Amino acid sequence: MSTLAVTEAPHIDWAGISSLIALFGGAVVVLLVGLLRARFARLTLVPVLTIVAFAASIGLAIWQWDEDTSLMSGALGLDPLAMIGVVGIGVAGIAAVLLSIGATAPREAAHGEYHAMMLVAAAGGAMFVGAENLITTFIGLELLSIPLYVLAATELHRRRSLESGLKYLIVGSVGSATLLYGFALIFGATGSLDYAAIADQVAAKGLGDDPLMLGGVAMVVVGLAFKSSVAPFHQWTPDVYEGAPTPVTAFMATATKVAALIAFLRLFDGALIGASDAWGPALAALASIAIIVGNVGALGQSSMKRLLAFSSIAQAGYMLVGVVVATKLGVQATVFYVLTYVVMTAAAFAVIEAAERESGHDGISALAGLGRRRPLHAIALTLSMLGLAGVPATVGFVAKLRIVQAAVDGDYSWLAIVLVVGSMISFVYYLRVVARLWTDEPAGVAVAPQSQAVEVEAPEAVATTTAVADPKGLPAAAVPGGGAVVVTGATILPMTVLAVVAGAAIVVLGVIPGPLMTVVEDVARAVPELFR
Amino acid sequence: MSTGWYLAVSAIVFAIGAAGVATRRNPLLVLVCLELMLNAGNLAIVAFARMHGSTEGHVFALVVMVVAAAEVAVGLGVVVALYRNRVPVDVDELRELHG
Repeated sequence: MSTLAVTEAPHIDWAGISSLIALFGGAVVVLLVGLLRARFARLTLVPVLTIVAFAASIGLAIWQWDEDTSLMSGALGLDPLAMIGVVGIGVAGIAAVLLSIGATAPREAAHGEYHAMMLVAAAGGAMFVGAENLITTFIGLELLSIPLYVLAATELHRRRSLESGLKYLIVGSVGSATLLYGFALIFGATGSLDYAAIADQVAAKGLGDDPLMLGGVAMVVVGLAFKSSVAPFHQWTPDVYEGAPTPVTAFMATATKVAALIAFLRLFDGALIGASDAWGPALAALASIAIIVGNVGALGQSSMKRLLAFSSIAQAGYMLVGVVVATKLGVQATVFYVLTYVVMTAAAFAVIEAAERESGHDGISALAGLGRRRPLHAIALTLSMLGLAGVPATVGFVAKLRIVQAAVDGDYSWLAIVLVVGSMISFVYYLRVVARLWTDEPAGVAVAPQSQAVEVEAPEAVATTTAVADPKGLPAAAVPGGGAVVVTGATILPMTVLAVVAGAAIVVLGVIPGPLMTVVEDVARAVPELFR
Repeated sequence: MSTGWYLAVSAIVFAIGAAGVATRRNPLLVLVCLELMLNAGNLAIVAFARMHGSTEGHVFALVVMVVAAAEVAVGLGVVVALYRNRVPVDVDELRELHG
């Protein structure tokens, strides 16, 4: 019939990439709906559609749970480790969208763009956790990071937000460039970009002590440490966490942690397992520095966001322990810890965002007497703090127990000791927050002083009026968090819902950890290189 | 020519970029130095791709170029927003947040 030859299209496993499609498709739809003129479309439809997209990606990931293959000619892995990463990022995304309802950031940046950016970042994270090829890893990482740089700077009229965006961009790009150079050296040493082929080459040629390989591994460690805020590459974390809008900080803290730690597992316990003699001690040293620096740094903080930033550095150290030991138990322990970290951090940020809206700042003093004013919030934050500290009957205890088990089992007992000492120090600042919640009298923090509050009648008016309080004009002692817009009659309900759900999850999973543990046991399938 | 020479050039470019990021105060120059670091990685990747005779590396280099362009676009956007807010454009002056 026709002289044209038939083109043999490559086989595409649509079901396998369906959770990615849900996120990317959701981003496009949300961006378009955000253009509609109706207020309902922007204020209600956009967040609802975003949550639907996240929920769809979670559902599709669970649907694909039993798969265990590679997609796109080996570029993207479809296995429980990737799928659990998608679920974790999706939960983090839903939490961030709930926190964004009524927040300043989406109003200033336009609702459609803000939410689409979040979905694209989540899609990047989903690629990052599934990557089985250096190119996919790099694209996934950048697709996760670049929207986050923008999101951090979305409060266009607040200097701190812009500053944190620029800082995050500069530090993040240095991390990416270092990671890229490391990838280049690994490519040079092995002549391959696929994880499986790299692992084969390292085993076959004995590249465990090849200088090119070692240089590459070192630079990859540094690059990923920048991304997952592991000390001593953590200096940007408190600044960026404090300056970025709180919903964005919550997303940054949870979603990037999930993505970065799972990428760590895949890359080091999978592709580079042959060189584990070289990176094992280096990562162990980084983990212990992170545990010490994070916990000691958090002691003197008066801003909740800075406190959680230092706490997240310490938590990243705990999670790295599971990567270091390079055993199946370690992989399971790290994945379990990452998931529980998402839940505990989401609860904390929900309460902080609510307190920030009521008092205009995120200092610990904003939480004083919260037990009397908002008991549900206070209970949720107490549970979150106890969970992060690792008190029994919360899920944080189970997670820490698993990590310690993995460390002792993997002949890294000294690292387990550092971990336990670190969590002992952490009790000081976590319990300080809890004490503040339940003891102090609510000394006028419920009503924001008129001098610092710029009252906003209708949420839409903020884009046109200069609704920014001058940071310089504020009494520094009363407002450690700095100038923030105080919306009278602030929306608190979504935060309460999130706090209650996450707080309940902390206790329920802490008492009955069995089901989640069974689920997590599957992930070891994804790293067949590990025999122990 | 041996691959070592290409590697040496790329290592020097990477070091210049890193030194620039650490010392330069103007965010625009910092962005330029970030580009240098990324493109040093690119140079190494292309050199290794020639050495191994594979096309994968060239694809990687193209992808990195796109990513670097996106990063700079975002960076310039933030710098413009800072200018509009009358913030001094000097990274040392960005001390509202004290690390």
